[in-house]
Amino acid sequence: MFVTDIKKGINRAIGRWLRDRIPASRSVLLDNKKLFIFPTAAGAGWLLLVLLTWLAATNYENNLVFAFACLLSSLFVVAILATFANISGITVKYVRSTPVFAGEEAIVEIVLLQQQNQSRESIRCGFARADSVLTGLAAVEEQRVHLAVQTTRRGWLNPGRLVIETTYPLGLLRAWSKLDLAVECLVYPRPVKGTPLTVNTSGRGDGPLLSNEGADDFVGLKDYRVGESLRRIAWKQYAREQGLMAKHYADPVDEELWLDWDAFDGFDREARLSRLCAWSLELARTPNSYGLRLPGCEISPNRGEAHQQAVLRALALFEIGPQVGKAET
Amino acid sequence: MTQIWQIPRLALLWLILAYLSVVVLHFRHLPAWISLAAAIAILWRVQLYRGVWSLPGRAVKWMIALICVIGLYAAYGRLIGLEPMVALLTTAFTLKLLEMQHQRDATLVIYLAYFLAALQGLFNQAIVDGLAIAGCFLVISAALVALHQSSDRQSVYQPLKTGGLLLLQAMPLMILMFAVMPRVGSLWAIPIKSHSAKTGVSDTMSPGEFSNLGRLADVAFRVSFAGDAPPRHQLYWRGLVLSRFNGRSWHSAGDYGFGLADRRMQWYNKPRPEWAQAIERDGKPLTYNVIMEPSQQNWLYGLATAQPDSPGVAYKRDFTLVSPSPIIAKTRYRLQSWLNYKHDPMALSLQRRAIELSLPPGYNPRTLSLAKRWLEETREPQALIRRALNLYNQQFTYTLKPPRLGRHSVDEFLFDSKRGFCEHFASSFVVLMRAAGIPARVVVGYQGGERHPDNNYWLIRQYDAHAWAEVWLQGQGWVRVDPTAAVAPERIELGLEDILGEEDDFLADSPFSLMNYRHIGWMNALRLRLDALNYGWARWVLGYDSEQKQLLSALLGVASPTRIGLFLLVTAGATLALLAAFQLRKTRLNSRDQLDKLFLRWCLKLKKHGIERQVGEGARSLGRRIAKRDPVLGRNASLITENYQRMRYKSGHIDERELRRFRQQVREFR
Repeated sequence: MFVTDIKKGINRAIGRWLRDRIPASRSVLLDNKKLFIFPTAAGAGWLLLVLLTWLAATNYENNLVFAFACLLSSLFVVAILATFANISGITVKYVRSTPVFAGEEAIVEIVLLQQQNQSRESIRCGFARADSVLTGLAAVEEQRVHLAVQTTRRGWLNPGRLVIETTYPLGLLRAWSKLDLAVECLVYPRPVKGTPLTVNTSGRGDGPLLSNEGADDFVGLKDYRVGESLRRIAWKQYAREQGLMAKHYADPVDEELWLDWDAFDGFDREARLSRLCAWSLELARTPNSYGLRLPGCEISPNRGEAHQQAVLRALALFEIGPQVGKAET
Repeated sequence: MTQIWQIPRLALLWLILAYLSVVVLHFRHLPAWISLAAAIAILWRVQLYRGVWSLPGRAVKWMIALICVIGLYAAYGRLIGLEPMVALLTTAFTLKLLEMQHQRDATLVIYLAYFLAALQGLFNQAIVDGLAIAGCFLVISAALVALHQSSDRQSVYQPLKTGGLLLLQAMPLMILMFAVMPRVGSLWAIPIKSHSAKTGVSDTMSPGEFSNLGRLADVAFRVSFAGDAPPRHQLYWRGLVLSRFNGRSWHSAGDYGFGLADRRMQWYNKPRPEWAQAIERDGKPLTYNVIMEPSQQNWLYGLATAQPDSPGVAYKRDFTLVSPSPIIAKTRYRLQSWLNYKHDPMALSLQRRAIELSLPPGYNPRTLSLAKRWLEETREPQALIRRALNLYNQQFTYTLKPPRLGRHSVDEFLFDSKRGFCEHFASSFVVLMRAAGIPARVVVGYQGGERHPDNNYWLIRQYDAHAWAEVWLQGQGWVRVDPTAAVAPERIELGLEDILGEEDDFLADSPFSLMNYRHIGWMNALRLRLDALNYGWARWVLGYDSEQKQLLSALLGVASPTRIGLFLLVTAGATLALLAAFQLRKTRLNSRDQLDKLFLRWCLKLKKHGIERQVGEGARSLGRRIAKRDPVLGRNASLITENYQRMRYKSGHIDERELRRFRQQVREFR
C-alpha cells in the first residue's frame, strides 16, 4: 500500500517534470533537451565483456588484447553518439486521427520527418499503453506511422505520451523521448442496440408515439372532424373537458425525429448515451431528419454527414467539455 | 507479449560469417572435430531458419554438450588452461548458435565472438594476427548492427559499412586509452600454454645443443641503444651462468653457496646497498631497450652488469636477469650496463669458490693430467689462460657439424676430434681452468647480432646463441674469456652468418626464412623493411608498457594518477566533441534547400551580364526574358531555369545525381 503510494507519487512528479520539459505540441523536434539516453541491459553486458577482456589482457600482460579491450570500451562511447545521432533531429508531427467508438482501436497517424539527409534505422514509436511500431527513415525524408490505440471510454482519447526510442546501431544504449503530441481524437460512446426508442415527434409532448403521419411542426389545435386520425386527437384537452380537438401540423410531408435524453428513463448517463448513439447511427441510415436533445444541449433536426458528426460529438463530449484532455505519462 | 522471435535474415547471415571467422581465427589451436561440429551447427541453424528442422530437444542438447566436454578432455587431457578454455568457449559458442530463441541469445553469441576473437591475441601477436583479429571485429560488429537493423531493405553490405564506420570512429579514443591507461600487471597466477615449445637457449648446456640453434633464423630479441652501440665484439648478451658440471652437461648451481642476503632477487626499483660492494662500475652507463620474443623461459638477456629499469625484471647475485613469470608474450624492458666493471673483485665465498672449482670425479682424465702438466710450468693464471687459448687457436676447427662425443666429452674433443661449436670450446676451457685451480664457469646467451641499417637497433637471432667462459682472477673479479674467439675471431667480429653461411646446416631448420635469400639485394631490403615494421609493432604496441612511462612523463611532467586521469578526460572529451560535432551537424541542408541555394548563386552570376531577377519573377519567365535579350546566353540559361523548375516543384525526393548535375551546370555557367 505504502509502496504503491510512493510509486504513484514519484510517477506524478516525473509526469509534472516531463510536462514542463516537453510541453504538449502537435509538432516536436527531437533535440538535446528532449532526448534521454541510458545503457540497456545489453549495454551492461557489454561492460562485462570489456571487463573480461581487460582481465585477460592484464593477467597475461598482453598489450594486443589490451588494445582490443580499449577498442571495445571505445566502441561503447562511440555508440552513445551514434545512437543519439540516429534519433536526434527528427521532427515528430501529429497528423490526424479518425474518431472511433469506445472499445474500438483508434488509429493515430503521425509523421516523422527530418531536415538532414541522413538514413535512420530502427526507430520504435508507440503510445505508452499500446503496441509500438518499428520504422526507419531511410532515403525518404518523411515517414508516416499509424499507431493503434485501444479505447475504453468516450470523450477525448488519452493515449498517454508517445514514446519514441531507438537502440540502433549496437543495441548498447537506448535513446528515447516521451512526447505529448496533443492528440485530438474523439471517442464516441459505445453504441448499444436493442432498446426501443420512444420517439417524441412533438417535442415536449408525452406519449410513446412511434411515428406521426407525415408532419413536422406542431401548429395548433382545431376542432376534431370525423375522419381525422384518432391519433391526432388531443386527448389531454379532451380530458380537461375542453372538447374533442385535433392537433395540426404545418409540414405534413417531412417527419422530425428527436433523440431525447428523457426517452431512456431508468438508465444511467453512460447507458443512455450508448443507446442514443446506437439510435443515431440507425437513424442516419434512414432518410429522416433527426435532432438531439440532451440536458443543456440541443441540436435541431437535420440530415447528412456533418450533422451526424455533430450529434456524435455532442454525445461523446456530454458533460466532459470541448477541451482536449491532458495526456498523462 | 510472447512472440516467437525469428532472427532477421541479414543478421543470421552476418552472425554465421562472424562465427566462421572466429573459428577460422582459432583453427590452429582447436581440436579438428570442432570444425565438423561448426559445420553441423551452421547447417542446423540455416535449416532452423528455413523451418525445415526443429530445435534440438533438452535431452539432445545436454547430450551434445556432454560429448563436446568429453571430446575436449580427450584432446587436451585437462580442462584448465588457456587452450582448453578457448576450445570450451568455442563449443559453447557453437551450441548457443543452435539455441538462439531471443534477441538476447543472439546478443550473447555476438559478445562471445568478440571475446574469443580478442583472446586470439594471447596466442599470436604478430602484425598479421592483430589485423586478423581486427577483421574479425569488423564482421562481428556487422552482425551486431544487422541484429538491430529494422528492415531488410538495405543492402547486404550495409551492416558491414555501418560497423566499419563505428570501428573507425572508435579508433582515436582507443589509441588514446591504449596510450594512457595504466597497466596493472598480473592479478593471479596464470596457466602456461601447453603446446608452445620453449625456444632459445636452455638452462642446461650439453654438446650439440648450440649447433642446433645455429640452424634457426628466428628472432630471439631486438635491442635499441639510447646512444651509440658498443662495438660488435663487446655485445655479449648474458643469459645464464652455469657452474655445475656433471661430466656431460652444465647446469646452474642456483643460489647454492650464497649467503641468505644474496639469494634473493633484486627488483629494479629496490636498491640493495650490500650488493654495491660486489660490483665496481666505471664510466658512463649504456642505456638500451630489449624486446624479447616469447621464449617460455624465465630468464632475460642483457650485457654485463645489466641493471634493470623496468617493472617485472629483477637481477640475481650473478648479475643475470630474471622475470618472475615465463616470457609468454613479447616483453620489453630497459637496462643500463657499464662496460668497465669489476665483478666480485675482492673475494669469493668459500662455498662459492668450491663450486666454481669442482669437477666430477672419474671424467676426462686426459684433460686433468694436461692441466697438471701446465701447472708444473707456471701457476700464473694469465699465462694458463693464454696457453689454453693458444691451443685452440693452433689446432682446432670451428664448425656447425661437430662429431658426436662419448663419455669423456672434453677429452675426446680436446685430443681427438678437435672440431667443435662454441659449447665445446666453452666447456673444455672451463674444465681446463678448474683443473688448473682457477675458478671458472660457463655463461650462455647470445653474441653479436645484426644491425638494422635504417633504425638504430640490433636483431639477435637464434643462430647468434653462444656460450663462453668467465674466470675469476684475484683483484679483477670475474673476467670474460671467449675461447671461440681464439679459434674463430671472425665469429665474434662478423657473426656466425658470415663465417658459416656457406655450410649446408646453417639455417637448415628455417627453410622459409627470408634469411635464406639475404644474398639477393632487393629480397634483403624487403626482409629488413619487414623487420623494421615488426620492430615498430613490437616497440609501440606489444612492448608499449615501458615506452608508456617515458611518454607520459614527457607529456605530463609527472605521471601521477590525477594528471593521467585529467589528461585522459580532456583529450577524450576533445576527441568526442569533434566526433559529435561531425555526427550531429544539424546544418546539413536538405536537397530542396540546396537547390534554392544553387539557383540564388546562379542569379548572382547573372548580374555580371547585367540581368537582375525581378521581384516575384518565376524561373521560367526569367529564362524566357534572357533568351529574348541574348539568344546564346539564353540557351544555357533556359537549361538551368527549366531544370530548376522541374526539380523544385516535383513531388517527392530529389535525385542526388540530378542535383549534382545541376550544381555542375551552375558552376560552368559563364
